[in-house]
Order: sequence, then C-alpha cells, then structure tokens
Amino acid sequence: MKIDYKSKNIAGYLAKIFLNSPLTMIMIVSILMLGFIALQIMPREEDPQIEVSGGTIMIAIPGSTPREINNVVVKPLERKLREIKGVEHIYSIAMNNVGIVNVQYFIGERREDSNLKLYDKVMQNMDSLPKGTMQPIVKPFDIDIDIPVVTVAFYPKVCQDLNSVELYKTIRNIQQDMNAIENVSKTTLKGEKKPQFNVMVDLDKLSGYHISLGQVAKSIQAISTNAPDIDTPTKTKKIVVFGVKNAIENVEDLQDLIIAQYMGSPIYLRNIAKIEYSYDIQNYQDVFIARRDSGLSTFDPHEAKKMLESHSHDIENTKNDDEEDSEHEALAPFHPKAHQQITLTVSKLKGTNSVTIAHEVIKMLQKYKERLNDQHVGFIVTRDYGKRADEAVNELVFHLLVTIGIISLILIPFLGWRESLVVSIAVPMILAATLFIAFMTDQTINRITLFAFLLSIGLIVDDAIIVIENIHRRLHLKETEGQDFDVLICEATDEIGPSTNIATIAIILTMVPMAFVGGMMGQFMKPIPLNVPVALAVSLMVAYIFTPYLAKKLIKHPGSH
Amino acid sequence: MLEKLIYNIISSKKKKRMVVAIVLLSLMGSIAMIPTKLVLAKMLPGKSANTFTVYIDTATNSSIEQTKEVSMCVVNEFKKESAVTDMEIFLGQGAPLDYAGLVKGSAFKQMQNQAEIVINLTDKHEREEPSFSMIHRLRHKIQKDCGWLVAGTSIKFIEMPSGPPTLATLVVNIFGNNHGLIRYTAEKVAKVMKKTDGLVDVDIMQDDFYTRYEVVPDKEKIIRSGLSVKQVNDILYMAFKGVIVATKNSRNQQDQIPIFVRLSQETRSVDDDSKNDLVWKLSTLKLMNPRGMMIPLKELVEFKAVPSTPAIFRKDLRNMSTITAECDLVSQVYPLLEARDKMIKALSDEFNVTKVPGMSTYMFDLNLKHKQTGEEILLRFDGEMKVSLDTFRDLGGAFIAALVLMFLLMVVYYKSFALSGIVLAGSFLSIIGVLVGHFITDQVALLLTGINFFLTATSLIGFISLMGISARSSLLLIDFSRSLIASGIEKKHAIAIATSTRAKPIVMTTVAIILGSALLATDPIFGGLGIALIFGSIAATLVSLFFVPVLMDNTSALCPETSVDESACVGGGIEHIDEEEIEKIAPEIEVE
Repeated sequence: MKIDYKSKNIAGYLAKIFLNSPLTMIMIVSILMLGFIALQIMPREEDPQIEVSGGTIMIAIPGSTPREINNVVVKPLERKLREIKGVEHIYSIAMNNVGIVNVQYFIGERREDSNLKLYDKVMQNMDSLPKGTMQPIVKPFDIDIDIPVVTVAFYPKVCQDLNSVELYKTIRNIQQDMNAIENVSKTTLKGEKKPQFNVMVDLDKLSGYHISLGQVAKSIQAISTNAPDIDTPTKTKKIVVFGVKNAIENVEDLQDLIIAQYMGSPIYLRNIAKIEYSYDIQNYQDVFIARRDSGLSTFDPHEAKKMLESHSHDIENTKNDDEEDSEHEALAPFHPKAHQQITLTVSKLKGTNSVTIAHEVIKMLQKYKERLNDQHVGFIVTRDYGKRADEAVNELVFHLLVTIGIISLILIPFLGWRESLVVSIAVPMILAATLFIAFMTDQTINRITLFAFLLSIGLIVDDAIIVIENIHRRLHLKETEGQDFDVLICEATDEIGPSTNIATIAIILTMVPMAFVGGMMGQFMKPIPLNVPVALAVSLMVAYIFTPYLAKKLIKHPGSH
Repeated sequence: MLEKLIYNIISSKKKKRMVVAIVLLSLMGSIAMIPTKLVLAKMLPGKSANTFTVYIDTATNSSIEQTKEVSMCVVNEFKKESAVTDMEIFLGQGAPLDYAGLVKGSAFKQMQNQAEIVINLTDKHEREEPSFSMIHRLRHKIQKDCGWLVAGTSIKFIEMPSGPPTLATLVVNIFGNNHGLIRYTAEKVAKVMKKTDGLVDVDIMQDDFYTRYEVVPDKEKIIRSGLSVKQVNDILYMAFKGVIVATKNSRNQQDQIPIFVRLSQETRSVDDDSKNDLVWKLSTLKLMNPRGMMIPLKELVEFKAVPSTPAIFRKDLRNMSTITAECDLVSQVYPLLEARDKMIKALSDEFNVTKVPGMSTYMFDLNLKHKQTGEEILLRFDGEMKVSLDTFRDLGGAFIAALVLMFLLMVVYYKSFALSGIVLAGSFLSIIGVLVGHFITDQVALLLTGINFFLTATSLIGFISLMGISARSSLLLIDFSRSLIASGIEKKHAIAIATSTRAKPIVMTTVAIILGSALLATDPIFGGLGIALIFGSIAATLVSLFFVPVLMDNTSALCPETSVDESACVGGGIEHIDEEEIEKIAPEIEVE
C-alpha cells in the first residue's frame, strides 16, 4: 500500500497520507452528516442579529414646562450620561411634565455591560435630582424580547360586537399558556379592554344636589378596601380566621352607595351617576382589524362566476401554476367594517429557534380554535417570523443545491462525468464542514450566512476543480503512461499545491478586512467575513485530502487494466 | 489557436500597445460611469416584502377620533388592492415592534395623534407587484385623499428595511441654541425638500403650536376658603380625565378591577375649542371646603389662553430639530445633492452659508450664520446616507487593506515587486466588468421592470472577493510560465503556451463562478454581489488571458535567476512602470 512518491509540499503530503487510508471514507460520511445535522438544528432567523445596546430614561416632574424640564432634568442628566464609555448618541425630548433621554451605544457594545453602566449612572446620581421629581424609569433596549416573532389578531366573528371584556378574558388565558411554551420570553396584548367599574358622574345633577366630586371619590374609597384575613387563637389552641369582605361586589353595590344627605333624604350614587361594569374607557388606545371575509355574507355573484371560471381553467392546465388562482382567492371582499381586535404578541429568548417557537405557538392556537369558535372569536396570524425565516432558509438551501448541480453539469463536457462527480461531492463536504463550524461557534443560520455560502461556492469550487483538472490532464499526457495511479495523483496534487495555497490565502486575506467594517452594516454583513475564510480554508483541506481520494475511487485509470 | 494569438500579440509592439490602450480606456470609461450617473450608487436596494407599515401622525392636539378617521380613510384606500390580505390598525400606539419600528421610535408612541397600520400582503412569490412599487403607486393618492381630513397630518409609508434600519433614508438635523430660529430654519429646509424630486414623506419631527388654556389659581381666595391648589388640580383631573379611586380583587380573573370616576360623556364635552365655552363648562364645578361649604371653582381661578409649549428635542447635548424624508424608488445620493444646492440658495438670504471643509462622512453639512444676529446653526445630513457613507468608507478601507495584504503576500511569494504588481493589476481591472455589468443590468432592469439597478454595498463586497479570484488566474499563469521558462523554453513562447494551457481551468472556474452567482443576481439585496461576480469575473478572465501576458512579457522578473538564456528574457516595448502607476492611481480613484 505504500506509495512510492516523495512529496514536495503539504498538498502532496496530505494526498499521500489519506489516499489509501480507510479513515478517509468514514471522514467523508461523517462530515456530510455533521453538516446535515447542523442545518437541521441550528437556530434559524431571517436577518442576522444586530446587537444594539441602549436604553431610555424617563423622569417626570408633574406640572412643569418643556423648558423647565430641559434645564432642570435633561441637561444635567445628559452631562452625566456622557461620562459613560461607549455611548455614541444621546437623544432627549423635553415635554410638558416629562423628560425622556435616549442613550444609544456604539453598535457592537456588549448589551449586559451597557445596561449595567446605564443603571449605575442613573442610580449614582439619584441624590442630585431636583425636588418634586418622580422616581426615574430606566428601560434598556432588548431586541430579542422587544421584537415579537409571532403576532396573532383575535377578533369577533359575528357582525355584532362581542363583549370586549369577555374576549380579553379568553385571550388572557391563551396568553398564560403561550408563556409556558419553551423559550418564549415575553407576551403582550395590544388593544385589550380591561374590565372596570365606570362611574360616570353627571355634572348637572352634581351641581343640582350640591355635591362635589371629591365627596363621590371619598365615599367610594370608604367602602372598598381589600384587607388580608385576620387570625386569632382560640382557647382550645386552634385558630380562627376571619376577614373583612370588600363591600363592592357588583354594580348594584356601587349604585346603592349613599353619597350625601340632601334635605334629609339620602342621595345615592345612582342618582347622580351612571354606573356600569364594562371596560377601561379612559384608555384611548384601540386596535382594529380589516380583514377579508371568506364567508358568503357579502357574496357577489359576478365574482363567483369569475372564480368558477378560473377554477375550471385550472383543472385544464393543472401544471399552470396558481398565479391567477391565488389572485382570485384574494378577491374575497373586505369586511365592510373594521373590527375591534386584540393582538397577542409572542417574543423569543435570545439565540433560540424562531421556527420551532412559531410552530409551537400556532399548534397551541389550533388547540384553542374550537373553544374560540364557540365564543364566535376568529383569529389571524398577522406575523410569523418563524415561517419567514424557514422559507428564506429553505429557499437559499435550495439555491445552493441547484448551484452545485449546475456547476457539476457544466464540468462534464470539460472533464467527464466521473471527475465532475468528484467536484459535486467535494463542494457539499466543504459547505457541511463550514456549517458545522458555524454551528459550533454559536452562529445562527440566516439569510446572510447562506449568502456567504452562495458567494463562497464560486470560490471554493476552484480548489477542487484545479486539483481534479490537473489529475485529469496528467492522466491523458503521454509521459505519464504506465505510471502508478497513486503516484500520479500525488504528483498532480503536489504540482499545483504552492500556487493554490498562495491564491487561497490571497482570497482569505481579501475577506479578512471586511470583519472590521463598523456600524450597523458591518454587523449585518458579519457572517460573510466569518464564514467565507473558513470555507476557503476547509476547501484547501478537502482539495488535498478528499479530492485525490475520490479521484482514485471514481476515475478509471486508462493505463491500468 | 489561443497560443498563436497570444504569441502574435506579445511579439508585436504595436499590438501590445493596443491591448494596453484598450484596457486603460475601458478602465477610465467605466470609472467615469459613476460621476456621469450612468451607474447609480445606493446603499441597499428595496426589498419586496409581504408586509409594510403606514405611520399616521395628525396635528399634535388632535383627538383619537380624528386620528381614527384618517386611519380608516387609509384602510379604505387599501381595501381596493387585491394583494392586501388584512390590515391591523393601532390607534394611539405603535404596532408590535419590528426592525424598522425599533429605530423609528414606534415603541414610544402613546399620543392620541399617533397611529400605525400594518398592511399584510399576499406572498411575494404569488404576486407580481413588489411591495415597494405598490407603495410608489399609492403614496401620493393616499396622501392626497386622506391627508386633508385633519390639518397637519403626515402619512408615512414604512417599508421593511433590506439591511440595517435607520430613522429615515434622509435625515437633516438642525442644531442651534435658539429654539425659534431652529424651528424657522427647519420649516424652510422642509419646504425645499418637499419641492425636490424623489423625496417623499417629508416630515418635521416637532410639535405643532396650538392654543392651550391656563387655569391661574387666585392664591388669596383659595387660602381664605380653606382649600388648596392641589384640590383644584385633583378635581379638574378627576372631572375631565378621570381617576381610579379604588380597586377590587377578583377571584376569576388575572387583573384587579378598578373603579373609575369621571364625568359622563355628555356633560364632559366642551362645545368648542374656545375660552368662553371652557369657562362656561367649568363654572358648574364646585369644591367642598373642610367646613362643608360648596365653593364654585369659577370663583377661585382665572382663565388665560396661551400658546402651547412644544417639546424640546436634543441630540448629543445640543438643541435640534429633525426633518426626515424617504426616497421614492431612487437612490438617496442624488436628491440629497439637489436638495442641498437648493437649500444653500434658499437660506442665503438670511444666512451666511458655508460648507463644512474637509473630507468626512459628515461632508455634506452646512454651517449657517445669521446675517443680523450672528447666531450659528449647523445643518447636518444624517440617516441612511450617513450609514452608507460610513459603510462605503469602511468597505473602501477594507478594500485598500485587502490590496496591501495581497501585495505583501505576493512580494513574499515571488520576491519581485513587478510580478506582484501584475497580479494586483489583473485583479483590480475586474472593476471594469463590475461597473459595465451594473450599467448593462441597470438598462435591462429599466427596460423590463422600470426599476433602477443600483451599485450597492454588496456590489463592493463582490468586488473585494473578486480580487482574490482573479488573482488566482494571474498567479497560475505566472507560475506556469516561470516553470516553462525554467525548463528552457523561450520567454514569449513560454507565455503563449502557459496562457493556452491554463485557459481551460481559468475559463472553467469563471463559468463555475458565473453559474454559482446566477441565482444570487436575482436576489434584490445580493443582486449587486451577483452582478459584480458575473461581469467582474468575465472581465478578469479577459484581462488574465490577454492583458496579463502582455505585462508578463514586459517584465524581466518573470525569468528565474538561473535562467538558461538571458536574452530570451529581455522584455520589449512599453516600460513596465505603466502598470505600477495604474496601481497607484487606481485605489485613489476607487475611494473617491
């Protein structure tokens, strides 16, 4: 088995070692498998994560003007925040009653450290806050938690308005369940109507009965207290527990509240105010949904005819893709009225897989579907980053495979199909190894990573091509006739070694400076300088170790019997 | 055949000169495409997405009902679109955060005059019109049809950013000390920008002035009646805004149930936005003092109409005002320059306008000095433009660093400056292909879709990676020629043989790159990279097959020191200083 060839450099040396080793085949298989596993379990996202650090500080002084806020709060605070290292910009807004200061760190500053520094600075200077200020609120940015991966809109299905409070109760339960899903970090509701007792005082009646609003408030406060239970020991050394019940249980309790005496007769709250148990009317934030109604309530016969036509049309040419079909599908008319809705948002923890989380969330919704249906509540998933990430990744993986396929096809007329087969095994191996390295270094699989791969295909295929081309060329030379196949392969690999090395190193060198591009764009593009040089280095190894091996196995030596 | 052709070229001085002339001409021609705007530059192109957001800001003191009216108008316009699947309207708050909203302050929206509408479209593969074309088509119509409903309304269309998000494509910050002057300048600048072609959604981030009414407490009367200013405040707040006076715990719900007190809807509303109506409304409110006497509020206070106090915006410890604008399908570079020229003209009446000297990524900034008062104002261009300039600067730096590193590597490998120069020249010339490729693609794209194809940051990345690829071709050629010469073949023949033998793998790798990048080229964002790779590698192949042999012939460094025949290595024709000079000039041109 010993190959009678003295290698001149690393290329031939590697080729010689691995050419007849049984390990080589095992390595090929395991590298391909590792790559496949990495592709399956790596967290997927659409865009790479950009680490933005920063935070917002809100300080309120009730009753102050913007200029006062500016001079008393904003300016001193800005000066203090300037002392923090790594702060790029400080934006502030001085409004009536409140000052907001926004701190933005340089892109790439570590978030945990930045948040700590921000808190630290604010807390250190608590003593120098002016009188009358309320406790400052410090809110650091948190992209992972703040940007939801899934949003769902729940809306009443029937035209009449559903009791929004009831809707809220149901959604609140769903929210609780969503939070229990693994790796879900934060769930919020938008447009929720919280239950509330509303006491709507009539101003005219108020003045008629000579009652002030303060009296109304005091009377309500007087009877509604939530107190903890009281316990006291008995003589027989047991415990007796008792508690004062909140005197307000329902609307009637409030209505029967005596506010004052007027001319000897009691005035009840119901005399001067309308009391109802509904939602928080002071909250003007509202959420609506305008949706297409697939139901036939506003069915247009003209449209139906069109749809039918397109349908029969489709049956005739089933292969003709559904471009028209989908267009007609979307033609379901819009519901004439925009409905009130509640949007549930679900965020994920950092570094977790948005695809699986979104999948779990939607599965959970399906479970609730029937119960929601009973309450005449429908839902639409209005954002699904998981699906988007999955589609983007799958599309690009498909592009990668197509590209590899095309390249191997084009090599057939140049080199022959066996040689081309070698290349089409070598390229996926390089990608698999690179992907696995990316997985081990905690990267996620996203559009930019895959673009880095697409970009590197053009570069990495060269090494394999050059080796296989040289083997192919030497095989067909007259001088090498009768030469041992093993020796020939090693010699061919050895020959192009130095120039391939230097060329590959040159390409790696051109990519390295890109890693030092700063700002958002630098962060965004980071997967390219991270992965392309790795892919190139791997491609050298593959070209020297596995290409000769595969060439030996797959190519028939014309000289041998 | 190729062997003969190459031999022919390098043995004739005239033909060699011709090749060099062609290369130099096409290099200059292609670089000239940038200043002549034949190739347009932009940081990142638009991306067709399945969703976009509409931001609605009505005048600062608008009610939620007015904001709702505008929002519903916008929704009704979109209902006519067949590609829209559903829309969510968020009144008085931002939509669930996305990358764009993160930097555009969507999370801080809580005023009655703010709303966001999320428009979801059918899948982009199943719809012909990209989202940005749809916005382009509807933008003016919607702004015209819905903007007038409430005065001072701005309707902005926010697309999903294809790269990192910014506050807006074009941001003009106006810094100064005098609030009034900043405001005045900002309005003037915004007016200019609104008139500039290609700039849309121009908006000044500032509060509008409106009349507010000050309730001035009469201190003496209040003290005498045994009340306090706080009581006056509290009662007014409770009457008109409402207060949660108590809460009740609930057994079957996750939240406490508050008890909320406010005047009823009918008695709460004031007839009109005027002082008299307000005074009339407040006249019926009474306060009770500790002695149980009812004292009418009217007796305790006076009313005064005053202008509102707009919020003060600051950035980096200076007062400023911000004007934002988006670009409608065009690159931001050219409208910016146009708007800047117009601004200089418009502001020259009152200010001494000076451009900020020196080269930096703030190089478009203007210094203004008021002619009468001498107050200074800085007009700074920010936004995506600044990010682009920073990126292009950094990528340019990366490119130069790559050049230097490659040159050093080659020098180490060949121990010859001339040969290293050839490799570098070969790789740098691929820029011809990159620029011509963008020009062709732009023309084709304009013809087919009517949308420009821009030279983007990804094109630059493509160009940088191309350098390595084309260096490889030159390297292989030089190495092979050297070994042929070492084996005793005459120089010109050796070059010709080397070129023709190496032509096959060179062409093969080029074809591989072209096919590998073909799918990249169809992507909206990485299209630039694909185009750069495809056309750049074609150019690089031509250069390494025809131009590099000429250069090789002109240098004596190709011959190994132990050359068999010294005379075979005498170069002819043009001095090889030429290519060195190209090298020196070329990176500088690139940076500019």
